Amino acid sequence: MDYSVTIENGILGLLGPNGAGKSTLMKIIATISQPTTGTIELDGHDILKDPDYIRKILGYLPQDFGVYANLNAYEFLEYIAAMKGVGGPNLRQRVEALLEGVNLTDSAKLPIGTYSGGMKQRIGIAQALLNDPKILIFDEPTVGLDPEERMRFRNLISDLAENCIIILSSHIVSDIETIADEVAIMKSGTLLTKGTQAEVIKQVQGKVFEIYLDNADLTDFKAKHMVVNTTRQKDTVWVRFISENPVKGSTEALALLEDAYLYLTHNKG
Amino acid sequence: MEQFYKIVRFDYLQRTRSYAFLVTLAISLYAAYSFIPAPGSNYTTLRIGDYLGVQNSAWIGYVTAMMSSVFLTMIGFYLVNSNIKKDVDTGVGMIIATTSISNFHYLLAKAWSNFMVLLTITGIVFIMGVALFFARSHGYPFEIMQFILPYLFITVPTIFFIAALAVVAEVFLYRYTVIMNVGFFFFFIATSVLQTNVLPIFDLFGFAQVTAHMQDIVASQYHQKINTVSMGFVFDQKKAFHFFVFEGIRWSLSTVLVRISLILFGLVIVFISSKFFHRFDIKERYKVKKKTKSLESIPQARILNEIRLSALPAITPSYKIMPFIKTELLMLIRKGPRWLWVINLGGMIALIFAPIPAAHQIVLPILWFLQVGRLSDLATKEKTNRIHYFSYASYKPLTRLLPAQIVAGIVLLLVLAAPLLIRYLVEIQFLPVMSIIMGGAFIVLFAVAFGILSGGKKLFEILFFLFTYSNIELVPYADYFGGMNHGPRYTELIFGLIAFLAFVSFMLRKREMARV
Repeated sequence: MDYSVTIENGILGLLGPNGAGKSTLMKIIATISQPTTGTIELDGHDILKDPDYIRKILGYLPQDFGVYANLNAYEFLEYIAAMKGVGGPNLRQRVEALLEGVNLTDSAKLPIGTYSGGMKQRIGIAQALLNDPKILIFDEPTVGLDPEERMRFRNLISDLAENCIIILSSHIVSDIETIADEVAIMKSGTLLTKGTQAEVIKQVQGKVFEIYLDNADLTDFKAKHMVVNTTRQKDTVWVRFISENPVKGSTEALALLEDAYLYLTHNKG
Repeated sequence: MEQFYKIVRFDYLQRTRSYAFLVTLAISLYAAYSFIPAPGSNYTTLRIGDYLGVQNSAWIGYVTAMMSSVFLTMIGFYLVNSNIKKDVDTGVGMIIATTSISNFHYLLAKAWSNFMVLLTITGIVFIMGVALFFARSHGYPFEIMQFILPYLFITVPTIFFIAALAVVAEVFLYRYTVIMNVGFFFFFIATSVLQTNVLPIFDLFGFAQVTAHMQDIVASQYHQKINTVSMGFVFDQKKAFHFFVFEGIRWSLSTVLVRISLILFGLVIVFISSKFFHRFDIKERYKVKKKTKSLESIPQARILNEIRLSALPAITPSYKIMPFIKTELLMLIRKGPRWLWVINLGGMIALIFAPIPAAHQIVLPILWFLQVGRLSDLATKEKTNRIHYFSYASYKPLTRLLPAQIVAGIVLLLVLAAPLLIRYLVEIQFLPVMSIIMGGAFIVLFAVAFGILSGGKKLFEILFFLFTYSNIELVPYADYFGGMNHGPRYTELIFGLIAFLAFVSFMLRKREMARV
C-alpha cells in the first residue's frame, strides 16, 4: 500500500474489489497488523509506537471473527470488556443495554455456540460499542444481517457518527452510498480516489448511459462496453453502461456511486 | 480411484507442510538416535535379562524397527487423529459430502494419508538406524535386509493399524476428543501389558517372535533360561552386561500372515466405521439447558433496536487481570464432557487415599493428563476461534491476557492436586509441595510455549502423552513434578525451565502478535 489518508469525524466508506487491501488497512489501523513502512497518527500520536493510545478508544468489528462457543453473551461481552480495559459498577448494565440494543436479551444466557450467523454478527456489533469508542472500524459489518437489520444497522452507524470516526468497508455499494460522508476506493493496495460522494461520482458524470437492445446483441455489446446492469424484458434487454462517448440510441443517465466504483476500478490501478 | 488418490495426496501435502510436522520430525530423529544407546549409556532400550545384542546390522535394524513400532503407536495416534476434524472445521467436508466419493473410500483415503504421514516418520527413523550402524558397529558387515525386513513386517503393519484406528476413533468419537485422547492412553497401556503375554493376537507391536528368538539365543549361548525382556527406556545403574550375537529371524509364512492380518483388520474396522460415518451432517453440539429458553423459541430474525452511546451506562477504566482469570477458568472448567469431572473427582479421591508415593508418581500425572484437552489450546484458542482480532487489538494483551491464561491453567492443575498438597502440608513436607506447584506451572507453560510455537495443540498433546507415559514407567528425566524425590537441585532445574518457558512464551506471543 502506498498512499496517505486523513480521516475526521464522520463515516468513511471503503470500497474495493477482493484483494484491494481494505481489510489489511483496517487491521493496521486497529493495531492488529504492522505495516512494512509508513506511519499512522491519531491526534498527533504515532499509534504504531504506542498502540494502546488508540486501543482504549477503539471499537473494531472484524470481517471474519469468531466467538468462544461455550460462553454465553454476558460472559463473552464481559470478557471483551476486560480486554478493552473497561469495567466499573455499571459494566453489567451497559452489557445488558447493548444486548437489548442488538436484540439478544432473550438468548443472552445461551452458549454463543448455539447462535445463528446473524446473531453472532450482532454480538460483534455489541462488543465494538462496549468501551465508548471514539474510533469505530467495521469490516463488512452487514454480512449475515437480513435486509431489515441492514437498514437498522445503517441507521445505528449514522447516529454513532456524530461523535466518532467510523471507517466502514463493504462489498455492497448501496450500504456505503446511503451513509458514508466520504468514500475511498481502493484496488491492489493503492488508493484510487477519496472524497465526498459527490466528488467521487463527478469523475464518471456524463459517462453513464442507458440503452434498449435486442437480446441477441447483448453479448457483442458487453464485449465492447463496460456494462453496469442489465434487465431482461420480453425480446429486449435494458442495459446500463459506462462509456467515454454515447452510443447511438442511448440516453445519458444520472451517475451513481456504483458507476464511479466500477469505472475507477476497471480503468485505474 | 482418482478422487481417492487426490485426497490422499493433498491431505498428505497439507499436513506435512506445517511447522509442527517439522518439529515432529526433529523429535523423531532424536528419538531414533536414542533407540540404540551408545556404549556406556545408563539406559537400555531392549535387553534380555542382563544380556544385550552386539551392535550388528540385525540388532540395530530390529531394535530400531521394534522401538519405532512402539514409538509410533504411542505418538502416531495423537499425530493423525484430527484428519476428519480438519475437514469439518474448514468446511471442506461439506463439499466432499456432495461429491460421489463413498464413505468407505473417503475414510480409506484418510487412513491412507495418516499412514503416509507415519511412514514418513518411519523413513526418518530407518535412515537414522542405518547411520547409527555405520557409527557404532565396528567391523560387522552391513546387511540391508536386516533393516528392511523388520521395518516391513514389524513397523509397517503396526502404523497402518494405528492410521486406521485414528480414523475409526474420529468416526465414533468426533464429539468426544477428550475420550479419544484419554481412551487411547489407556488402550496403549493395556496393549503394552498384553504384549508381555506374548499372545500373537495381542502382539500389536509385532515383536513377540523376535524377543522369543533372542531368549532362545541367550539360552543356547549362555545356557540360561531368561524370562525377563525389558523393552523401552530402562534407566538404572551401569551393569556389566553380557553380549550375544543376534542374526535376525526367519520370517515364516504364518508370521507374515499374522502381520498382514493386522493390516486387513485395519481395513475391516475402517469399512465397518464407514457405515456409521456422519458424512458431515453434524447436528448442533451445544445442548441447551432444559431450564433456559431453547433457541427455537427465540425469534432469530429480530432487528436491532436503537442504540445511543451517550445513553448507555458509563464505564470506567479497569485494567484488572482478575476478570480474565475468571473467564479463562470458566472456559477451562466447561471444556470437555461433564462426566470427565466425575473422573477428576475420582482422581482427587485417589489422591486422598492412595499411598503417598503412588498418589504422587502415578495418580497425579494421570489426573493431570486427563486435562490434556483443556490445556492443549490454552494459548491457541484465540486463533482457532478467531478471537485474536479482538484480543490482539485489546489493551496491553501481552501483559494481561497471556498471564491470565497461564494463571488459570495453573490454578486448575493445583485445585486437582489439592488433596495431595494438603497431605504433604499435614506431614510438614514442603519440598514435594513446591515440586507439585512447579510441576503445574511447568506443564502449563509447556502447553503455552509449544502451542504458540506450533500454532496448534497436536505437538503438546503428543509430548504430554510421552511425559505421562514416561512418568508411569518411572523414567527419571520426564519427572517434571518431583514424583521421584530428586532433591532441591532438581527443583532448581525445574524452576530454571519454568523461567525459560515463560520467557519463550512471551517472546513467541509478541512475535505472533506482530505477524498477524
